[in-house]
Amino acid sequence: MEPVFKKRVSKATILKLQRKNSFEQSMMLPAVVKGLGVTLRHFFNNVAGGERSEAVTVQYPEEKFPYPPRYRGLHRLMHREDGAVRCVACMCCPTACPAHCITIIPEETGNGNEKRPAVFEIDELRCIVCGLCVEACPCDAIRMDTGAHAHPSENRANAILNKIDLLKNATLNDKDPHSTAIQGGVPAWRDTNKTP
Amino acid sequence: MSDLIRLKIDGQELTCEKGVNVLEAAKQIGAPISYFCYHPGLSSPAVCRQCLVEVKGQPKLVPSCYTPVAENMEVLTQSEKVLTARQQMLEFTLANHPVDCPICDKAGECTLQKMYSEWDGSHSRIDMDKKHKPKVKDLGPHIVLDAERCILCTRCIRVCNEVAKDPQLTMAWRGDREQLTTSPGEQLDNPYSINTVDVCPVGALTSKDFRFSMRAWELYTTPSVCTGCATGCSDEIHHAKGEIHRLVPRENPDVNKFWMCDEGRFTYKEVRVRRVAVSQLKGQVASFKSAISTAAKGLLSLIDAKQMQLAGIVLNAQASNEDNYVLAKVARALGIENVYLAGRPDQPDFADDILRKSDRNPNTFGARAIGEWMGKPKTTAQLADDLNRGALKALWMLGDHIALDERAVGALDRLEVAIYQSPHENFISEHVSVLLPASGWAEIDGTVTNFKGITQRLRASVEPPGEARPHHELIAMVAAELGVAIEYPNTKSIFFEMSKTVPAFGHASFGREAPPIQLRFAGSRG
Amino acid sequence: MGILYLFLVPAIAFSALSAGLVFLFGIGLPWIATHSWGTWAMSIWFTALIKMALLLLGIVLPIASLLTWMERKQSAKMQDRIGPNRAAILGATMWGIPHFIADAVKMIMKEDFVPAKANKFLFSIAPLLAVVPVLVTFAIIPFGSDACTGQLFKVVTDTAACGETIPFQVARLDVGLLFYFAIASLAVYGTTLAGWASYNKWSLLGGLRASSQMMSYEVTMGLAILGAFLVFGTLEPSAIVVAQGPNPIHWGIVSQPLGAILFFTAAVAETKRTPFDLPEGESEVIGYFVEYSGMRFGVFFLAEFMEVIFLAAIMTTIFFGGWQVPGLYADGFHIFGNYNMAHGLVLFLQTAFWGMKIMFFCWFQLMIRWTLPRFRPDQLMRLGWKQLLPASLFNIVLTAAVVLWLESK
Ligand code: SF4
Ligand code: SF4
Ligand code: SF4
Ligand code: SF4
Ligand code: FES
Repeated sequence: MEPVFKKRVSKATILKLQRKNSFEQSMMLPAVVKGLGVTLRHFFNNVAGGERSEAVTVQYPEEKFPYPPRYRGLHRLMHREDGAVRCVACMCCPTACPAHCITIIPEETGNGNEKRPAVFEIDELRCIVCGLCVEACPCDAIRMDTGAHAHPSENRANAILNKIDLLKNATLNDKDPHSTAIQGGVPAWRDTNKTP
Repeated sequence: MSDLIRLKIDGQELTCEKGVNVLEAAKQIGAPISYFCYHPGLSSPAVCRQCLVEVKGQPKLVPSCYTPVAENMEVLTQSEKVLTARQQMLEFTLANHPVDCPICDKAGECTLQKMYSEWDGSHSRIDMDKKHKPKVKDLGPHIVLDAERCILCTRCIRVCNEVAKDPQLTMAWRGDREQLTTSPGEQLDNPYSINTVDVCPVGALTSKDFRFSMRAWELYTTPSVCTGCATGCSDEIHHAKGEIHRLVPRENPDVNKFWMCDEGRFTYKEVRVRRVAVSQLKGQVASFKSAISTAAKGLLSLIDAKQMQLAGIVLNAQASNEDNYVLAKVARALGIENVYLAGRPDQPDFADDILRKSDRNPNTFGARAIGEWMGKPKTTAQLADDLNRGALKALWMLGDHIALDERAVGALDRLEVAIYQSPHENFISEHVSVLLPASGWAEIDGTVTNFKGITQRLRASVEPPGEARPHHELIAMVAAELGVAIEYPNTKSIFFEMSKTVPAFGHASFGREAPPIQLRFAGSRG
Repeated sequence: MGILYLFLVPAIAFSALSAGLVFLFGIGLPWIATHSWGTWAMSIWFTALIKMALLLLGIVLPIASLLTWMERKQSAKMQDRIGPNRAAILGATMWGIPHFIADAVKMIMKEDFVPAKANKFLFSIAPLLAVVPVLVTFAIIPFGSDACTGQLFKVVTDTAACGETIPFQVARLDVGLLFYFAIASLAVYGTTLAGWASYNKWSLLGGLRASSQMMSYEVTMGLAILGAFLVFGTLEPSAIVVAQGPNPIHWGIVSQPLGAILFFTAAVAETKRTPFDLPEGESEVIGYFVEYSGMRFGVFFLAEFMEVIFLAAIMTTIFFGGWQVPGLYADGFHIFGNYNMAHGLVLFLQTAFWGMKIMFFCWFQLMIRWTLPRFRPDQLMRLGWKQLLPASLFNIVLTAAVVLWLESK
């Protein structure tokens, strides 16, 4: 096809092509009939039901679609072996968070870990579920592998999860309740073989 | 002339003064050299060996921080040998470093992090447990040591020895057990102790005041001036979300070099307490408008009665030059001749021969200069005297400290009108008829002049609370009701007018504009 | 299976309607009219009122709301989905049919929102301006042959010669279809005003698109149907139906195939449904009723579905023999032998069959709506002015020539 318009703009070339309308195309009707044929076939197949039905709809509350293993669900804060919060309030996650929805106020613990969050809040309404907080965490303290959705609530304040809520969420994933990562080491669930 | 030395660094020729070390010379041409233990304000012990460079004709690498420049020297800062040495030294330094950056307050402004990412970047090859040392060790009233993070650079020791002139820190043990500790029977409690935190290239020393309160990269920095005493150390206000988190010294060779006293750092704590947020008339909360018009009415009655000799203004050494100047200008226009100078009372035990001065006002020099431009300024003692004698009917005061005794303060009650513009509530604010909310030093733009006559710039970092606004705006509002139209688009215009009219400011400069910038973009302070 | 139910429901409704009408006009009203106090019963005003009420409340509104369900269900079937299946009455989901009730309840309960700077008066009457013309045009639709009063149980050979009759048509206007064009073109005010009164530039643009589209396609619509007028020689819908007769060979679709397609296309554009839904463009290009919510929006929605029904009715009337049943004459079936039937039964069958035809065309329009993608405005205009218009002119010339030739023979 010969372009009817051609212009070079910095590194790109703008081409405008004029598509030739064939008679059949401009008539439209044959194409309409063809399209109707397809939809009619599906329509009657589905109306007939049984074997011929092609519907694949999942009936949501009764049936559930299994989420992929890396589905980013509700956040949870991981526990240490003694049940204390794993988070050391390093503020990496609020720094990484593009939605500015994590609020942490650190406090001193007095034990060897020195620091932990006194307040840890995630505003699930603001969260865009990007998972950057999980990536940012150097301690494997925050994860999104609960497979749960943010709960519906009638009140904005209820959508802000605090430290206790987030620690409770840890039990939502019964397959992997505790982090096996050594504090300060590489999380066990990451591929450790490929360190350069 | 003979003091100038010519040398070559990385093939680039340069001249510099005799006695300068190679590290500084390299800085001149921007040749990057990594270093830990060297600090431009301290002596060089050359203990970290991080700054090694190659000098042609020398068999071994030399520490650039300790090697003075010599005529025709040829230095290589980026040779293969140097780079390897740098990387190996870093690996050595990091061998026992805990790398607990997530909980380390220095993270984000840590020299070790910076050097590692610039010069090393390799993975740890140590597969055994690291050496453990005390993690939380109390060194004194303001400082906590994490001995594991210490890289034994001795900067902190030198700060105590050379700046505070109080050898309170020392190294103990040897080898991988070497540890920083306080000298026997001592505590790190000298008045300059927090400078050790600033110089510490890592997060080994942390200030109890700032510890864990904010990550460094979240902070915004605004260059300003310490208002703790007449020295007026240049500082940076570090703030985030409308809250000041700490003050840190800013390099200024004329005033404070690299240092600042602990007391000065804590002045930020007073900024937000006991604030006057709304106007008051005789102790009752009133609307801003009515307060302004009441103030103006009180003065107007005196003007109508042609009794201006019974009116006075109080300039304050706590307020900026611009604020004082605008009040003085209005007073001149109204024909007020009684000018008093006020400020915090002297505190002789505060003075030392390092930085601190007994005069605890940032702007005594400026306020006096403006007072003298107006006429013959009287002292606070004379003000008390005049008040007690009943020689005054109206007084227009800038806050916040005015050293009046109880009797004189009581006399304020009897004045026809006492206008007091103050950021803080205090014993005077209860006795005045009109109290106007003013912005504090961290909330205004303006200049202060220190005891040497050096004018420096205060910059607004946080928003003032409530209805508070700068002194000069309040003055202009009252003046407008008195029929004295003064209007300035910004503080800069006041300054320029003042530098033309008041001789003492003839050579002063207003300073550059420096909008708050987040520390993560301001680069490492290490 | 659900879809069969879909046809069953209207068939029963139409049958009930026709049975009611047959009873009312054949026995009830004439009986009242015999009394001195009830002479009004057979007056043209009263019968028209009854017919209008039955037609609109008994047929058009229920079917229009049913169409909302049907559209969802049918599109689901076409797209391999399941569609609405949750709403239930006393536990009976009935293929999700109660969803249309749920929808209505939802619409009524919703906040009635008027934008702050909107013109409140125009904003409020715009939906009415959209819906009233559609309702009015139903007056000209014949939904059965004339009923001969008092002869329900006899065999009537010619309805025209049986004495007193009641037409199964609200208004028998000689201008017939011209009336339809006149009224239907008023609907453009509703859409344009809705766009303008919302104080929203996007809805204003939507309203402008709507008016330009409706005006362009009205031209084709009028011209396309002109051929049919030439063939049947009348503008009066009921006369057109009678002229077509019970033999499908004589139906309009046979003599006017091109006219039928052109008219159908243009009329679909008039209803502003996909592929011609650029004035609304629910999901992408914001349409003229974007500021409408709750029942105000519901009225627009309902108007659209009533237009669908009306289009089905007019297609049936002009091109598909209206209420005619193949082979069913006034006195019974005359196909593969003669079967005489009572007049009442014939009337009933005709109205019921009329209903089936209408449901078929509604279904067909939904098929089209869920099959074709939307046009671009330039394509829309090109199709309207450069293709449909010349084609309809050609159709007129051709028809006129053929008619002239046939007459001259
Ligand atoms: S998932 Fe993304 S948006 Fe949500 S909290 Fe984590 S970083 Fe923030
Ligand atoms: S990144 Fe991890 S350790 Fe750091 S504050 Fe967030 S959850 Fe806590
Ligand atoms: S001193 Fe620096 S490298 Fe060491 S833990 Fe702190 S931030 Fe990390
Ligand atoms: S505490 Fe900091 S400044 Fe002091 S020796 Fe250790 S690393 Fe250096
Ligand atoms: S900086 Fe030169 S040896 Fe440490």
